[in-house]
Amino acid sequence: MNDLIITLGWAGVYAPVALGAIGSIIGCATAGQAAIGAMLDTESGYGRYVGISAMPSSQIIYGIVVMFTLNKPMTVENASGAFGIGVLSGLALLWSAARQGQCCASAIQASKAKPEIFGLALAPAAIVEGFAVFAFIFALVLSAGAQ
Amino acid sequence: MGEPRYVTLMTSLPHHGRLFGARQTPLSRFQLDKRLAWLDPDDREILGRIEDVLLWRRRLLEETDAGFLARVRDVIERTGNPLLCDIAQSRLEARTLIAALRRRRLGRAAPGPVERWGYGRWVTQISRRWNEADFGLGHVYPWAAEAEQRIREDDVVGLERLFLGHAWRELGRMGAGHYFDFEAVAVYVLRWDLINRWTRYDAGSARERILELAESGLADSQPTRH
Repeated sequence: MNDLIITLGWAGVYAPVALGAIGSIIGCATAGQAAIGAMLDTESGYGRYVGISAMPSSQIIYGIVVMFTLNKPMTVENASGAFGIGVLSGLALLWSAARQGQCCASAIQASKAKPEIFGLALAPAAIVEGFAVFAFIFALVLSAGAQ
Repeated sequence: MGEPRYVTLMTSLPHHGRLFGARQTPLSRFQLDKRLAWLDPDDREILGRIEDVLLWRRRLLEETDAGFLARVRDVIERTGNPLLCDIAQSRLEARTLIAALRRRRLGRAAPGPVERWGYGRWVTQISRRWNEADFGLGHVYPWAAEAEQRIREDDVVGLERLFLGHAWRELGRMGAGHYFDFEAVAVYVLRWDLINRWTRYDAGSARERILELAESGLADSQPTRH
């Protein structure tokens, strides 16, 4: 039983990276495909479309940082805490990255038709990023408290 | 979450803008077809069938109303996409209303069996309330009274404008919430068709066609065909 608990603890340590990476892959792919489509319809501004499409990559970075803070000697006492923090923060990062990719795709679509709203169109993606930051910060706070 | 290919396809399509402000379609049919080649062959076929029914692009004068309605029912049955079925039904019901207004204007005292030349939920009501100005459908089609007036004044352009405006709004309403999926592509294409129809509108030839088609049912509501 203890071995299982320890194993789950290690799964929790790696979960933020793995789930964050999956989210970033989905988000960047969605936004990237929108950028490619927009390039077919526009004559300029390619760089900023590609730039927007990289926005959902921040979640994997948050995931890596959370992983390092959870990466402590694993015991039966702290394994369940590592599992809970790691998996739940990872899920939050995954979902936020995937949905942020959709926000970025919509921003690309909208700013293509109306370039003057480019900055404003990014606001929803920035708000989603804010929620990912909440998940990240409080994962750090809790993991610092866990022995 | 939309399928990836639809994200690329939708963002590669230029913005439509407003229907009546457009001087030309945002991209040519040739370019549009090239982009639509990214669709699944099955989706492309479904979209083509719906376009065909809504545009009457290949409808021949020899095709009877009964034949056309049978084709419509077949297309709607085989489409299998609820949104596209709703769009087709909504458009054909509006056409049925205009066809009824025209038939009444031609002096038909009694409508006869409306289901032989009309389509949708309102055929019975149109038949029952034939002598009311808007067939009692003013709450569904607030523009029915104005359409009746346009027909009375033989204002083909005004009628076309009313009908296309209605179709444009319906597509916007029904397509709400679809951004990067097949339904979004379909709504885009059907709106492209409306812009194409309006920008190529020719009032003179439309009037001639109406006279040609005056005796048929749903055809009455299609002033221009491409």
